[in-house]
Amino acid sequence: MINEILVQFAEWLYATGGSRAIEESFYLYNWIETTHVLTIMLCLGMLAFIDLRMLGYAMPDVSASTIADRLNIPMMIGFSIMFITGLLLFYAKPTYTNQSIWFRIKMVLLVVAFFNAIRFHRHMKASESTWSNEPRAPLNLRVSAALSLGLWAGVVTTGRLIAYDWYHCYRDLPGWLSAAAGCVAE
Amino acid sequence: MELLPFFEWAETSFLGYIGKTYGGVYATFGQSVHLMALAVLGGSVLIADLRLLNVILKDVPSEIVADQAHKWFKVALAVILSSGVFMAAAVAQRMYYNDFFWAKMSALLVGIIFVFAVKRPLLNGTHADIHPMVIRLVAIASILIWFSVAATGRWIGFSG
Repeated sequence: MINEILVQFAEWLYATGGSRAIEESFYLYNWIETTHVLTIMLCLGMLAFIDLRMLGYAMPDVSASTIADRLNIPMMIGFSIMFITGLLLFYAKPTYTNQSIWFRIKMVLLVVAFFNAIRFHRHMKASESTWSNEPRAPLNLRVSAALSLGLWAGVVTTGRLIAYDWYHCYRDLPGWLSAAAGCVAE
Repeated sequence: MELLPFFEWAETSFLGYIGKTYGGVYATFGQSVHLMALAVLGGSVLIADLRLLNVILKDVPSEIVADQAHKWFKVALAVILSSGVFMAAAVAQRMYYNDFFWAKMSALLVGIIFVFAVKRPLLNGTHADIHPMVIRLVAIASILIWFSVAATGRWIGFSG
């Protein structure tokens, strides 16, 4: 049922003028995608340094809360640009992307990464005065930091794999994979 | 010097064979690892350069930020070069005729020379001894060079 609704929504988006304009413009589409990829350097670059600091592998001489606070703003600016360009990329190819198993896994990983980030910040704010100058954060924060790096590696990988149609609906897929990819009977 | 025979050989090499035959290995160990390393490389460049421009981490000495960022820059660069060689080997002949590939290689070479021959030697000492305008120019040049490397790299896929 949900897959039928998503397909209808994707087909409606696909029929809009804006969607066609972006996909059919060689430079517009490719520059949106380039911006989406380049913002990795800002968003995930900052995130990686925050997580590596918590794990004790980057800037151990600098207070962990200072690193997290100061790098949070550029990271969020990068994330906002990635989010907007990501929406535009989906808008340009909604029918293909909606039925990509990689896109769906990427969305799940993003949601899990979001909740992990909330948990991370909550724990950090509650306890930072006791350990911020230590080279490594307490175990629960190190677990969150490692999880964050793993989840974002998954987001990058699945994001890259969206371009590949190995498991797309026009292939011969097993039932569970067909349902997970959002395939519906024609 | 004629480089085409080298590119033809690269495509028939073991790395070229693996990348060409196994799409999943090419996409994950090549492209995805390349992107993750780009994130760390870009992060290290931006953290150091934005600190030199007095935009972030103003309360942390720029010497510490630049030194620590450079350590991760070297790690990321090594991963980028390794995964890049693997990816290029699989499609070596196509790369040879791709203008953006050569633009990226040129930008990458400029970036590496800039970091190891200009930026690091300059920033090795106390930053207060360096004219602020020189520090700002180096930081801006560094950001522009590495964004050019990344952008031309992405456009390899859009051309040819």
